[in-house]
Amino acid sequence: MSKSNDSIQKTVIVALALCIVCSIFVSASVVLLKPVQIQNKTLNLKENILRAAGMLSATPTKKEVEEKFAQITPKIVDLDTGLYVEPKDIGFESVDAFDQKKSAQNPKLSKVLDSSEDLASIKRRERYAKVYLVKENGALTRVILPVKGYGLWSTLYGFLALKADGDSVVGLGFYEHGETPGLGGEVDNPNWKAQWPGKEVYDDNFDVAVRLVKGGVNPSSSDAKYSVDALSGASLTSRGVENLLHYWLSESGFKTYLEKVRSGEAGNV
Amino acid sequence: MSDVTPKKVLLEPILSNNPIALQILGICSALAVTTSLKLSIVMAIAVSLVTASSSFFIALIRSQIPSNIRIIVQMTIIASLVIVVDQVLKAYAYEISKQLSVFVGLIITNCIVMGRAEAFAMQNGPVLSFLDGIGNGAGYGAILITVATVRELLGAGKLFGVEILPTIANGGWYQPNGLLLLPPSAFFIIGLIIWGLRSWKKDQVEAAEYKLSAHKVKEAF
Amino acid sequence: MGMREFLDKIEPQFEKGGKYEKWYALYEAVDTIFYTPSKVTSANTHVRDGVDLKRIMITVWFCVFPAMFFGMYNVGYQSNTYLAANGLTMDMDWHGAIIAMLAGNNPASIWDNFIYGAVYFLPIYAVTFAVGGFWEVVFATIRKHEVNEGFFVTSILFALTCPPTIPLWQVALGISFGVVIGKEVFGGTGKNFLNPALTGRAFLYFAYPAQISGDAVWTAVDGFSGATPLGVAASGGLNALTANISWMDAFLGFQQGSVGETSTLAILLGGAVLLIMGIASWRIVAGVFLGMAATATLLNFIGSDTNQMFQVPAHWHFVLGGFAFGMMFMATDPVSASMTNTGKWAFGILVGLMTVLIRVVNPAFPEGIMLAILFANLFAPFIDHLVIQANIKRRLARV
Repeated sequence: MSKSNDSIQKTVIVALALCIVCSIFVSASVVLLKPVQIQNKTLNLKENILRAAGMLSATPTKKEVEEKFAQITPKIVDLDTGLYVEPKDIGFESVDAFDQKKSAQNPKLSKVLDSSEDLASIKRRERYAKVYLVKENGALTRVILPVKGYGLWSTLYGFLALKADGDSVVGLGFYEHGETPGLGGEVDNPNWKAQWPGKEVYDDNFDVAVRLVKGGVNPSSSDAKYSVDALSGASLTSRGVENLLHYWLSESGFKTYLEKVRSGEAGNV
Repeated sequence: MSDVTPKKVLLEPILSNNPIALQILGICSALAVTTSLKLSIVMAIAVSLVTASSSFFIALIRSQIPSNIRIIVQMTIIASLVIVVDQVLKAYAYEISKQLSVFVGLIITNCIVMGRAEAFAMQNGPVLSFLDGIGNGAGYGAILITVATVRELLGAGKLFGVEILPTIANGGWYQPNGLLLLPPSAFFIIGLIIWGLRSWKKDQVEAAEYKLSAHKVKEAF
Repeated sequence: MGMREFLDKIEPQFEKGGKYEKWYALYEAVDTIFYTPSKVTSANTHVRDGVDLKRIMITVWFCVFPAMFFGMYNVGYQSNTYLAANGLTMDMDWHGAIIAMLAGNNPASIWDNFIYGAVYFLPIYAVTFAVGGFWEVVFATIRKHEVNEGFFVTSILFALTCPPTIPLWQVALGISFGVVIGKEVFGGTGKNFLNPALTGRAFLYFAYPAQISGDAVWTAVDGFSGATPLGVAASGGLNALTANISWMDAFLGFQQGSVGETSTLAILLGGAVLLIMGIASWRIVAGVFLGMAATATLLNFIGSDTNQMFQVPAHWHFVLGGFAFGMMFMATDPVSASMTNTGKWAFGILVGLMTVLIRVVNPAFPEGIMLAILFANLFAPFIDHLVIQANIKRRLARV
């Protein structure tokens, strides 16, 4: 390296040239690849939703996801009234533009929870939730609800899919969590998830009854239809899952809305 | 550096001058991504590409780089390449990029990349530097793949996500070893690899910092 | 003909150049079990004592016996009580077959209980000894040093921290990890900075947490499910705990747990001998106890609405889980603990503090003593460094 390289002039020129070349390079790649990335992201979300609803094969193709998702209508629900709201009324262009996860951070679109009602340990709850309706031949068959709550180490994000009676489970799946692999991480285990379909979340009085049972469910007991095996060796993740379900199925969650699903009111859209 | 031949530059980092096992660089990502073989291979490819191309570009302009800002120049080139790799993964391998999350971005801080740029590419031609980057990436990848094979096979009973040892939870016989799914287990495995490697290639053993005086005994009675 | 003469006669075969040179380590081990070695160190200044490492280790080994024998009895007692209370018979795997041959299932019979426990514990110990001993000999042979008696202690301590129902292959894996990674990779006895028995136990704890992280029970009866006293306290608090078991029962050891850890009384008996003989450092033991008592009392005062463990008082922490066992036998390991007198206090207090913190504040692990000791092991050299530096400073000021 010659000495002239270290002159101020040369240093500035090299730095400038490098910055320009690199920034063009980086921006080009970001701009060119953006459309594909957005497509990936929405596809991934759709896949998670469909998976919770038990509507996907084990290794779905892109086409399958798109086809199945065509049956689904996203809707925004006001959690306090249980009624659908138009995206325009809360300041969004379309249903797709409303991001429920982001809205939980927005003081206008969420409320702070009191520790006594904060079963799921989420601290803030959004006012509006994005639910997904599955329709077959024009009739509502399933509703897919976003749920989240704290387990042992992390917040679990997932979807709970219920039948049109607002009670029977179609599926429960978590798409994001940081629980211990092999213990709490077993919420992803297909065998565990396979227990959910067919269970009921509310009892006859429409109170939340679903629970996770340590040591395994006794199939002959009277509340077997509300019970699912807890994850072995993961008491706190199991408790977290139970709590988050109880929270989201209570009045401060989707209960008001689910009453309307039950009465058939929510299907008429 | 007197005798740098393409072959030597390419092969030496794999066993005799391995960036992880001998220089103990790039450990952070080796702990984080080795729970699955698929992730490790993608990570190894990403690191190889970044190291090779950053070395190539740096070698190309090495005679123009002012030495007082050379580290920043290297960083800029490396960072740009890492961003591009990250974007490409997000576009064409979304599932994998989601699982790798921040660790692709953290290639920027992987000491192997920077180390090769500073130690090799600044003194050698672009083609040699490119091969050197590939070689070091392969050395890094070799360790990653070994560690990931052990961790995924014994920790989850799987390889590439396919069940090899049927686990008890799925009705088989194998009791998965949960420790191997936790990051510290990679330390143990890398440690054992280094131990094995240095027992085999004695020249890799570091000189002792001090020596205990010999244990002298005599008959008491 | 005395054994001494026989050993002397075959000795040349094992010495350098002899026929069995490779097996010197084994010869030496056998020789020094029976006879005090005649060789003494000649280098530099040394304090010479009648007690050598081997005698110390054997003493520790004997001192663990009360806890071990009571542990075997208790394993049988817990199982037989459960069987009798529920009108069950034991499962007839190979354990059951041997037990049926030697004894019955009467929970009131000491013999029946003892045999039941022994049939479960002795295989664990045998595997520990065989596998761990194998590694010891391998390393001693390759490195040409002597087999170290520390392994006697390591093996029994490791076996006693295992739950009675542990599969034997897990025992083998655990002790292998403990001996190889916990000790030999660092150069063998005296150079390890972690307690090898606990290293092996920690390996199992993280590798197979569903079975042995300490919230489910290990009564040696198939299909038994329940919680250890610590698990009960973690979920139900002090009230649930006292409803389940009395303090005296817990102190005497009539509770669920790993084989050797249940009886605080038996552990104190053996521990007292160690303390009187000066083998275990009383400073460490006192430090652990004080650290635990102070932290537990402090947490009692702070209290918590959501975490039931906060209300558990010090005297309960003392008798639950592996606290007493860890305090007497694990924390006092002379190699991995601090060496300086002040350092021993600090080391002990750190162990006590961390034990209670892990038990109470950490939601995932009901038991904390094992992790606390390993954690303090890491700090031991640093603590010593600080103590020595402070001492040097103080003495310099006096000059």
